[in-house]
Amino acid sequence: MNPDDLKYHKEHTWVKVSGKKAIVGITDYAQNALGDIVYIDLPEVDMDFEINSEIGEIESTKATSSIIAPLSGRVIKVNEDLSESPEIINEDPYVRGWIAILEIDDISELDDLMDSSEYEKYVEEEAK
Amino acid sequence: MKLAVLGTGPGGYVAAIKAAQLGAQVTVIEETEVGGTCLNRGCIPTKSLAASSEMLAKLRQSEDFGIELKGEIIPNLSKIIERKNKVVDTQVKGIRYLLKSWGITLKEGRGVLQSPSEIRVTLKDGSKDIVTADKIIIATGSRPSQIAAFPFDGDRIISSNDAINLTDIPNSLLIVGAGVIGCEFACIFKELGSEVSIVEMLPRAVATEDMEISELLERELKKKKIKLYTNAKVEKVDVKDDGVHALLSDGKKIFAEKVLVSIGRAFNSDGIGLETIGINKGIRSEIIVNKKMETNVAGIYAIGDVIGGLLLAHVASKEGITAAKNAMGRDEKIDYTVVPAGIFTSPEIGSVGLREYQAVEKGIKVRTGHFQFRSLGKAHVVGEIAGFIKIVSDEASDRILGVHIIGPHASDIIHEAAIAIKKGMKTRDIAETIHAHPTLSEGLMEAAEDVHGEAIHVPKK
Repeated sequence: MNPDDLKYHKEHTWVKVSGKKAIVGITDYAQNALGDIVYIDLPEVDMDFEINSEIGEIESTKATSSIIAPLSGRVIKVNEDLSESPEIINEDPYVRGWIAILEIDDISELDDLMDSSEYEKYVEEEAK
Repeated sequence: MKLAVLGTGPGGYVAAIKAAQLGAQVTVIEETEVGGTCLNRGCIPTKSLAASSEMLAKLRQSEDFGIELKGEIIPNLSKIIERKNKVVDTQVKGIRYLLKSWGITLKEGRGVLQSPSEIRVTLKDGSKDIVTADKIIIATGSRPSQIAAFPFDGDRIISSNDAINLTDIPNSLLIVGAGVIGCEFACIFKELGSEVSIVEMLPRAVATEDMEISELLERELKKKKIKLYTNAKVEKVDVKDDGVHALLSDGKKIFAEKVLVSIGRAFNSDGIGLETIGINKGIRSEIIVNKKMETNVAGIYAIGDVIGGLLLAHVASKEGITAAKNAMGRDEKIDYTVVPAGIFTSPEIGSVGLREYQAVEKGIKVRTGHFQFRSLGKAHVVGEIAGFIKIVSDEASDRILGVHIIGPHASDIIHEAAIAIKKGMKTRDIAETIHAHPTLSEGLMEAAEDVHGEAIHVPKK
């Protein structure tokens, strides 16, 4: 199940906000669709990203796909553990599989993201 | 007809054999080792090292294949070099034997043109000899270019010639130039255990390839933790007791045990008497020839790296055959439109024909097709899923203009595409040909189908 305390972006990324900081990752639906993840190209610390832009790439045994920024902001930390063990995302996409922490530019962007029940409906629609 | 060939690289020895086949009395002159750069300092030795590093990579993946190894996996560079030398020796002997079997005289020494029909040879024992010939083919090749501010010293600042003979794996290696040679060595030494950084002046690695090939190679280098700095220059190096301290144009400092300079090749056109007989050279000191491989002096031909063209062994060989045939009275012109080439990085690269950007520059409206190796069963079987096959085709005629492959066995798969382009085939011709399953070549069929949005193993877009 998708945690209730997170917000979701239509490109299957999630954010967990505390103050001006947002932890970002990909959703359980996304990791499932990708299959076994073999590599993640992490964003660089200090880089600025616009909402909806590519902040990194994930490669699985099936496909390569972009990680889309759910918010605009500056990367202040990345999950280095993923470079050695990208499969953590498959195992635990919402906790240990976090990808980056952003310093949020514009908190109002959060309003456009989905909550967990909206995201679940969205995914159901997509699956049709 | 007496014909002399100066140099026995893949241009020179091939020209010599072809001329002998056509009835010439042939003498070849070689200053260093038979086989030239290709055999002694280039293609073969680097591929032998690459084969050892690939073996190492495979062993490191052995558990994925269900094989348990006990103990450590240790690359021993001096033994890797020993194997390389053995491979090279076998090949050199093979060429010596071929030359002998065709009745070709081999003079080992430095040859200098005295006149359009005479080459003065200083033999290895110091004695002099004169070779007379009705026609002469110059195939003196090229050597690694160096950077004036920090020339090769064979120890800290090394060339590819030195890199193939290192007996200790450097802890760290800074490579200047992310072309073919730089990227190949980066992959080899990284696998062996060196920390590798590459500095490239241009915006991308292997800059003459299709952009998407560079992009994927760069990502694979990053995966291996090879640091690549593009749009960057090494401004200054300080050779100290502990190693080399390099300063980049953006102010970044890199320390490395050794620096491998692979910025290109310089042409061996000096000191061989070209001025004496008035042979024209270009601004890069390359010998200028026409499509028949003729220089401006009648009866003198030049082939291979020294003419400053594509710097590929197989191109030199083709030029050698063209020159030999023309010297023997035929009328042949070289055609460079279909030249397949391999880059032996990990993953490997194979390309032929136009890159997408080249087709666009020519004003051609193109259509491309892609196929990812990870969508092929065989790629999963061999455990190498990174990479893709890309076809560039002419939208109007469907003819294949170029094919670009990065992935397992790319340099082998590319030849199907080379023949297709040579014969003016369409992507439909490849798409409609049954390809055996399970093979990596199926990817080419799928990429051809993808040009028309009809690939079976690509999800609906």
